[in-house]
Amino acid sequence: MSTLLKRALKISLVPAIIMVAGKALGIFVISAIHNFPIEVGNDISGFFSTQIYFQDEVVTYFVNSLSDFTMLISLAVPTIYLITKTALFQSTLQNPKTIVKVTKFNMLKWITRDDTTFLMIFVWSAFLWLTAAIVIKNVLLDRTYSWIGIVAGILVLFVGLGALKTFEVQVNKVYPNSNKYY
Amino acid sequence: MNKEKIKNFTKVVLEPFAFGLLALLFIIPAITVINLEPITKAIKDINVLGVTNKSELQINAIGGSHIIFRTEKVQFLDNIYSYTTTLLGRDSGRYSKPILEIVNNKEDEISLEIYGSTNIPTGSDFTIIIEDQVYRLQGSQGNTTTHKISFVPKKKYVVYLAIENFTSIQFDESFELSIKEIE
Repeated sequence: MSTLLKRALKISLVPAIIMVAGKALGIFVISAIHNFPIEVGNDISGFFSTQIYFQDEVVTYFVNSLSDFTMLISLAVPTIYLITKTALFQSTLQNPKTIVKVTKFNMLKWITRDDTTFLMIFVWSAFLWLTAAIVIKNVLLDRTYSWIGIVAGILVLFVGLGALKTFEVQVNKVYPNSNKYY
Repeated sequence: MNKEKIKNFTKVVLEPFAFGLLALLFIIPAITVINLEPITKAIKDINVLGVTNKSELQINAIGGSHIIFRTEKVQFLDNIYSYTTTLLGRDSGRYSKPILEIVNNKEDEISLEIYGSTNIPTGSDFTIIIEDQVYRLQGSQGNTTTHKISFVPKKKYVVYLAIENFTSIQFDESFELSIKEIE
């Protein structure tokens, strides 16, 4: 098995768990905070037969929306952190001013090790795109607040641009821009 | 030499499985998350002894996923239960889905007036099936029929909505089913 595939498998595990945990925790925590009666049943056939029921349509809409938001944020925060970290690391290599700023904000740890690979950013971004697609699908089916769909759309756009920029940086490492050296 | 061959063979055999596993790592969470989405269903109102339900008529949406039935809702306004759904564009054929659960918790038999139609007739035939009995709601010409159906006490009925169209439908349409209790 290739090393790339092994690494991809290893990296994919954490966002996959976070995606499911974000949604499940979102549902149960929000229900617990607002004291919504919740029922878990298994009378619908499908891939999985377990279903979560709420008594009221408004409650279902509210819980589904906020749990979608929890899932989205729980994936977006680490992805944005990885992209920002890589961008900062690259910026410090090219611009000494960034080192001063990073030191000022006590974020030197972020730039002391380049342990974030493009593969890692790509996998996390892929999970975020998948999550955003599910959220947008829910908005179109009138199961989630539309503002959550807008947030998902904006996040996807920015994370996509960030991933693209990281890809450019990685490509430049392998095939450096000749104008820079000659 | 042999060991090297076995190692290379294992590598070749394992690689497609690893790709499959990687794909599953994306597919399984997505399906799980979609399945975790809560749905609306009236929770049984159990009394202190935990034996009886409220003595009334209960109409609950069954929910779940289907290739053409989307955004199913049940509302109760002015003593009329209304079930609405969006039917997606579809190929010619017959489609059916359990849509409602009707529970007569009363001591006596009740009669319900049931009628349903789409906003615009699309040449589809709409029927409901209750206890293997078929009731036509809207014919392919758009003609609608109102049915009076009796429900015996202390019994749960599952209502199926069946749609048949002989030509493919290119656009989405909304369907509304109204249920009214006859005093």
